[in-house]
Amino acid sequence: LGIEIDPEQNEVRALKRVTNWRRERVAEIGCGDGRLTLRLARLGAFVHAIDPDAKLIRTARTKLPKRFAKRIRYHVGEAEHLDFANESFDLAVFAWAL
Amino acid sequence: MVHALREAHRVLKPNGILVDLRPALVHRRVGIERAGRFRQLGRMYESLDDDRKANRSVALVLRAGLFNVEWRTQFDCRRVMDSLSDFRTFVDEFAALGTDVPPHDWLIQRVQRALETRGSAKKIVVRGPLMMNVLRKRDVGA
Repeated sequence: LGIEIDPEQNEVRALKRVTNWRRERVAEIGCGDGRLTLRLARLGAFVHAIDPDAKLIRTARTKLPKRFAKRIRYHVGEAEHLDFANESFDLAVFAWAL
Repeated sequence: MVHALREAHRVLKPNGILVDLRPALVHRRVGIERAGRFRQLGRMYESLDDDRKANRSVALVLRAGLFNVEWRTQFDCRRVMDSLSDFRTFVDEFAALGTDVPPHDWLIQRVQRALETRGSAKKIVVRGPLMMNVLRKRDVGA
């Protein structure tokens, strides 16, 4: 789909008000093709991005720039059963997913 | 949705933050933008049922004492498309979300007519605010 979402980056401005994302450990739930994941990584976060759609996760992995390879991990998974330990994230982000 | 919020609560550290970012509960406005000026052509009548369910789920976990509201905000968000086929796909995706979504052929035709008029380069723009809930994890045992 040739669609540009939020070219003004209002989303990023709002997210910056939440916290200083630098080095924060983030679970992004419902990451889709990773559009917001990249924005979170640019803010300095370490992101585990989860989506139930394996095809979208494949797309996200393909589009992952090398400079973010150590900061982003994509996973196929369900929001109701996260494969992570208790109390392992500083932030959880539902990105257009709830 | 409530299960997903409870699962997020489980994986969050004490005092962790949950960000719920999604389109606000309003119908999106569709128009043409030319030289930075937006001319509205119509409003979409997409189903907002899922958004209402999401709001109810957030209210439930707040009532259950899992989170406190830190703050809430709402801000503008544009979706910009170059071609009618992009817009058609965008509309079709909404139609696929629910059976009670009325057809938007009238809106597609309006956009097509606006694109066909002479003048400088045009973009199809869908405007609709995003909302963000920022919730702080409460220790249930506390």
